[in-house]
Amino acid sequence: MATTDSDSATASQRLDKDTRETIVTVVRHTILLTWSFIVLFPLYWLASMSLKPPGTANSLPPDWIFLPTVYNYIQLIQDSGFVAAFANSLVMVSASVVLVLLIGVPAAYVLSRYDIPMERDVLVWILSSRMLPPIAVVLPFFIIFRELNLFDTRIGMVLMYVSINLSLVVWVMKAFFDGIPETLEEAARVDGATQFQGFRKVVLPAAKPGIFSVAIISFIFAWIELLFGLVLTSFEAVPVTLFVYSFIGSRSIEWGMLAAASTAMIVPVVIFLIAVNKYLAAGLSFGVVIKE
Amino acid sequence: MSTPTQTETAPKSTFARLRDLWNDYLPYWFMAPMVLVMIMITFFPGAYDLYLSLIAEPTLDVFAADFVGLRNFETAFTRGGAIHSFVITITVVVSALLLETILGFVLAALVAGVGSDRAKSFYRVLFIIPMAVAPVSLATIGRIMLNSEIGIIPYVINTGTPFVAPNFLSDVPLLTVILLDAWNWTPFMFIIFYAGLSSVPKTLIEASRVDGAPMWRRYVHVIIPYMKPVVFVATLIRLIDLFRTFGVVYGLTGGGPGTATQLVSINIYEQMFINNQITVAAAIAVVYLVLVVALCNVIIAKVGFEGVWD
Repeated sequence: MATTDSDSATASQRLDKDTRETIVTVVRHTILLTWSFIVLFPLYWLASMSLKPPGTANSLPPDWIFLPTVYNYIQLIQDSGFVAAFANSLVMVSASVVLVLLIGVPAAYVLSRYDIPMERDVLVWILSSRMLPPIAVVLPFFIIFRELNLFDTRIGMVLMYVSINLSLVVWVMKAFFDGIPETLEEAARVDGATQFQGFRKVVLPAAKPGIFSVAIISFIFAWIELLFGLVLTSFEAVPVTLFVYSFIGSRSIEWGMLAAASTAMIVPVVIFLIAVNKYLAAGLSFGVVIKE
Repeated sequence: MSTPTQTETAPKSTFARLRDLWNDYLPYWFMAPMVLVMIMITFFPGAYDLYLSLIAEPTLDVFAADFVGLRNFETAFTRGGAIHSFVITITVVVSALLLETILGFVLAALVAGVGSDRAKSFYRVLFIIPMAVAPVSLATIGRIMLNSEIGIIPYVINTGTPFVAPNFLSDVPLLTVILLDAWNWTPFMFIIFYAGLSSVPKTLIEASRVDGAPMWRRYVHVIIPYMKPVVFVATLIRLIDLFRTFGVVYGLTGGGPGTATQLVSINIYEQMFINNQITVAAAIAVVYLVLVVALCNVIIAKVGFEGVWD
């Protein structure tokens, strides 16, 4: 009798636990789906607006069902500086990523492998370049660039984009190099390779995922930057962010084209983000969170 | 592989000597460009801002410069609206940081607890997407969706609920800015916290589960203490980046209406290009730069990176 009693007690307890778990699961997914909706709805709205026929983009009540048209995109490509700005951004941001990797990755390697005096202070100094508000940085460069004829040039913008991402690259890559056992290079050196060869042929290939992800994250941070373009360009080197902004500045906003330009800017970055999904936490946390 | 630096009795060619120089001093060559660029982007702007802030008219010729002491600072803080913009900045930074930290953690904890792996990675990928939106594009989305005449959100509130929608851009502009930033950057906190949560040892969680502790106590007493370094780093980096905020506000309200959303960065920009007072702008920039760098360094010194780097 006693056993049956305790059996039924556990059974009802288990039932309790099951219902509780079901409730937890339902609540959990309700919250997560709500947030999913919050994430997706603005993007859906932007994209749908860019695909609506002219004149109906902002009609209320909204046309939930409409015949999508690429009219806005064709307008965008044809009669404005969008293509130039998009290409500008693509070139300037890509060049800055290559440059920041060339400067940052070797330095990160040294910081990882050698005993640097006051290493922590050096690392905090490097991080402090990110603490400087861009507006405070851009003000002197605005004056200097005009003197050096770097104002409104792609080269000038590339240099400024490097300044945003250098600390990120050094920190993330130092963390990645720390995770690569030194025995790898030692083996190569025993085989007669110089230190540089060891770095280039052994360490760099092993650090590929880190380099790839930090490159993409650097790309994104430069791609979304507005202030440098606003202050340091006027015509030749205008980045796509400034082009999008210039829509807002104009008196009668063409909502459809604005939506199309914004959508065109966002889509490639979404693909990039998903591509580095696995290493995103490592990259965004400056290499502090490496394992997942 | 043959050794490239064989000892030879013959005098070395210039190329060989250069190669030796490269190999012998490799760490210096590797560090030099980074250090040079770092000096250029840290010490130079700070020093130049300071110089500009102390003179009457911007000039490159230090000897011809007319030093006016702290007059630009006085102008900035009495008539330049500097104090107001610092208050606005602190309000935005603190509220957005709190909101993003809490939301990011809750979302990370909820996703980490999802049973099926496919659902987990679905949420994980979906939730990072807002980071792809440039602040200035987010501002355009805000202008489109929140516009009191053509915006879908006021329309839905007015027709679908008993409430009357405020004019988001003029009645509650600061709140709108904070919410938009939270939409944009909560993913940043989420993804770092999620990685941190995944690195909490299973045994630690199991042990606390055996104790019969309820879920919230497991978080407060076991998981959050374990994740302290991760939480510290994520909030520190987000704090640093929040002080850089510009695009979303500039695109959404331009600092207005009036000066209701005038961040320090917007104030400096307007002093520069609208009022054409570069030296006053530089004075505000110096104060801003010193305060932000000092604050972040104090936080780093106080909390330290213990348990992060070791």
